[in-house]
Amino acid sequence: MTGVLPNSAGRELSNPPSDGISNLRFSNHSDNLLVSSWDRTVRLYDASANVLRGEFFHGGPVLDCCFHDDSSGFSACVDNTVRRYVFSSGKEDILGRHDAPVCCVEYSYAAGQVITGSWDKTLKCWDPRGASGQERALVGAYPQPERVYSISLVGHRLVVATAGRHVNVYDLRNMSQPEQKRESSLKHQTRCVRCYPNGTGFALSSVEGRVAMEFFDLSEAGQAKKYAFKCHRKSEAGRDTVYPVNAIAFHPVYGTFATGGCDGYVNVWDGNNKKRLYQYTKYPTSIAALSFSRDGRLLAVASSYTFEEGDRPHEPDAIFVRSINEVEVKPKPRVCPAP
Amino acid sequence: MSNLQTDQLLQMETTCGSLLYELQIIWNEVGESDAERDKMLLELEQECLEVYRRKVDQANRCRAQLRQAIADSEAELATICSAMGERPVHIRQCDQSAVSLKEELKAIIPQLEEMQKRKCDRKNQFLEVLEHIQKISNEIGRSTDNPSKVVVDETDLSLRKLEELHQQLHALQKEKSDRLKQVLDHLNTLNSLCLVLGMDFKQTINEVHPSLDDSEGTKNISNDTIERLASAIQRLRKVKIERMQKLQDLATTMLELWNLMDTPIEEQQIFQNVTCNIAASEHEITEQNTLSVEFINYVEEEVSRLEDLKASKMKELVLKKRSELEEICRRTHLVAEADGAMEYAIEAIESGAVDPASILEQIELQIARVKEEAFSRKEILEKVEKWLTACEEESWLEEYNRDDNRYNAGRGAHLTLKRAEKARAIVNKLPAMVDALVSKVTAWERERGIEFAYDGVRLLSMLEEYNILRQEKEQERKRQRDQKKLQGQLIAEQEALFGSKPSPMKLQSGKKGPRMSTGGASSRRLSLGGAMLQTPKPDLSHSTKATPRLRPNKKSDLLSHNQDDSFAALSAGRRGLDVAGLPVKKHSFNASEIESPMKRKPFSPVSSAMLSKVNNTTNFLEDLNKVHGGTLQKTLPSNNTPLTTPSKLSTVTDDDENRTPKGMPIHMPSTPSTISVHMQTATTPAPATRPTTTATVLFGAKTIEEEYEEEVEYSFEERRAGFVLPKTLIKTIVQA
Repeated sequence: MTGVLPNSAGRELSNPPSDGISNLRFSNHSDNLLVSSWDRTVRLYDASANVLRGEFFHGGPVLDCCFHDDSSGFSACVDNTVRRYVFSSGKEDILGRHDAPVCCVEYSYAAGQVITGSWDKTLKCWDPRGASGQERALVGAYPQPERVYSISLVGHRLVVATAGRHVNVYDLRNMSQPEQKRESSLKHQTRCVRCYPNGTGFALSSVEGRVAMEFFDLSEAGQAKKYAFKCHRKSEAGRDTVYPVNAIAFHPVYGTFATGGCDGYVNVWDGNNKKRLYQYTKYPTSIAALSFSRDGRLLAVASSYTFEEGDRPHEPDAIFVRSINEVEVKPKPRVCPAP
Repeated sequence: MSNLQTDQLLQMETTCGSLLYELQIIWNEVGESDAERDKMLLELEQECLEVYRRKVDQANRCRAQLRQAIADSEAELATICSAMGERPVHIRQCDQSAVSLKEELKAIIPQLEEMQKRKCDRKNQFLEVLEHIQKISNEIGRSTDNPSKVVVDETDLSLRKLEELHQQLHALQKEKSDRLKQVLDHLNTLNSLCLVLGMDFKQTINEVHPSLDDSEGTKNISNDTIERLASAIQRLRKVKIERMQKLQDLATTMLELWNLMDTPIEEQQIFQNVTCNIAASEHEITEQNTLSVEFINYVEEEVSRLEDLKASKMKELVLKKRSELEEICRRTHLVAEADGAMEYAIEAIESGAVDPASILEQIELQIARVKEEAFSRKEILEKVEKWLTACEEESWLEEYNRDDNRYNAGRGAHLTLKRAEKARAIVNKLPAMVDALVSKVTAWERERGIEFAYDGVRLLSMLEEYNILRQEKEQERKRQRDQKKLQGQLIAEQEALFGSKPSPMKLQSGKKGPRMSTGGASSRRLSLGGAMLQTPKPDLSHSTKATPRLRPNKKSDLLSHNQDDSFAALSAGRRGLDVAGLPVKKHSFNASEIESPMKRKPFSPVSSAMLSKVNNTTNFLEDLNKVHGGTLQKTLPSNNTPLTTPSKLSTVTDDDENRTPKGMPIHMPSTPSTISVHMQTATTPAPATRPTTTATVLFGAKTIEEEYEEEVEYSFEERRAGFVLPKTLIKTIVQA
């Protein structure tokens, strides 16, 4: 498969994870790429050099990972632990534990805290400096209405999407209770939530081929801007197939965003003008995760079966890094300005 | 003896006489003349004389030679004796002692030979000593004359001279051993220096002189070598001092950093050997490799690591302080400085342009200042807080007063009543409160000479606005009262004419809808009322909240008060249709979703009845859009089904953009394209995409879905990880 689409899909990284890819992220400082996988590892790649820089083994499948700085990172593991890794030395410490598998982890530069969400229906904040002392690192635990499925950060805002279509918006400076409690505008299970880079709202995707664009501003004018749209669907011979939207990634420069679905497509959208800017050629299997590099010149695409149809044979898991052409992500001026 | 000689002479004389007789006979016989005879005899005599004279000369010469030999020997003997510094052994006996010359010579020769032998021995001794001297001199590097040849002064071979030479030799030997010692000392010093500095000793001394490295052979001890050794030591010592100072500087920095950051002892222990030398003088540092380049680099690295750590900690501290400051500002409703200042400060720290400590100090100062200000504002702020809560209560009360069903006994009605009672009391106190606040704030402002800002807005202006608003409201109320009175009169007149009295309720019925969706926020109402937005908060703006900042909203609300939301939404819809004539079709998506008639769990099946209904509505909508133009307005009222309020419908566009008459947007090409495509912004996910026919949604294995659909939803990851909620939890969820 890899031989078939090397150019159109981007450069495939060598030494990919041997099982499903749960997430991948570019560093904020370099073109390093951190990848977590069901094969119980977190891998560090140099995406521009296509080199596997490090591999860190876990006690269970890893559901999420993120960078701390360029030399260390965090991981969220099914064995309930939150770990911190120093890449150069391979040093590992357990930051703490949840009561159930941890499914998402974020590091807030603003607060200097690690935020994890778990299926134990809690959100926990950790101080990564709490060196190796088991519970010393814990800053606070905040009960959620349901199991946490996806979280996203922008500035001091934290958006938490849980099962049961709950969405809580927190201010990191005051975590005692949510700033806003919402229900997802979409009717189906939330797959992914990502904040706009400009901090005015968030995009939320569901298992039913749909993405909602929401705004934090609660005023009528603010809420009037919100909308939802359909994507990642296929209509064949009268049969409509709707695919889950697994991944959303915002372009750091233009604020446009890419979505990835179980249909294997990656679409780029302009949320302000409500237009699709680009669709890349189909990837071998579901898009499990997406990440733009810090300058937005590269897009990492995890083509990895996300288990949406249970255990079945599937294409091998692969990571593609594609160079982004400006025309693919730059918002286009309106064809015809509004009268 | 003499007898013998005389005998011989006699014999000879006889032979001569006989010979002469014989000659006389011969002559007689021959008859020789006498003259001839005489002549012959004379000849004979002359010849004999000649022979004698020759012999005497010979003997004389021999004697002279002998004398010469004796004299020579004596002279030589004398020379040797004088050279050896001895008194001449041979004192010449008087010649008169009648010792023959030959005897004399015989006596002197052995003496001479003896002396010559002694001289030779002595010379050898001299040679030996001189050779030693020469050698040592060479080693020391002092030999100035030809080093290869040893010359002995033959004229002075005295013992004294020999003694002198021996002394010289001793002196030289001593010097040599001294030098050797010095060299060894130097080498020792050098070795210890090299150890400390982590340098290769052998190489160092090889550079000075190759012989020094040789442990077996002799070491070069010349002045030059010693000098070079000394200079090497000097040089290394200088290096050592330099490095030591560097190391001590590093150690000092390290100690400071440790102190600053409370570095754990274990971490400090590793560098104990560095810090223990912090006050050591140069000669006290003897431990191996303490000053090697690698070690210093190692320490340097540690220091830079600590410094980095410090920098990051400082940064964190700055951030923390900053957020503390922001927190205080937020709490006291002060407006913090521009957000950019923070990023700027961090950047400055990172680039090293600014000392983090100074920024920290600055922030501390700021915090102190803000705290001080907060303290001065505290009293007023408390009052403002009270005022704001009062305002909230007021707005609630207004809302409540508009509710015509407020006296209907329901669950919790007594509580609401109580609240209303309290609220009324508070509202009555409001004007006084505002006045007090105004005077307090004015006093404060006068005292300080600055405006009292609340979240960036001048409090006084807020209060003024509030007062104006209040007056407006008052007038409005008065106007309404008048109107009511007028109406009452009218009704009375009508009653007089027709005899029936319309219920006042009907007039108000239009307001019911919005109140349902906005007011109570009770979930029961929401699910029944089919509010389009599940979050009640956004709609709060509908309520006439009396806080001054919401005033613009409130005003518009007042204007369109008797119209329900559909108006605004409708206008939005119309706006959308205006644009529809253009290739880029735009819709306003005011409220995004149509609420399905019943509250439905995400994975629960959609009842066919409901589906058909929803299908109808969507179809209807599609038609609607096809009709395109001003008809929307017309059809809307007819769509007034109990299931969906018009407001929602009006905001919904059709579910597929392709059906717009223009047909301009391109439908999802499967090949990549840069042509932008419209988003399919239909807003009713479930009904629209799940027609009763064939759509399948990839939620996962169907069986699993069925299995869980009545119970708990699970994400793909949870299913894959085999994660199951504990039973009790499931129960609670199902019950909920």
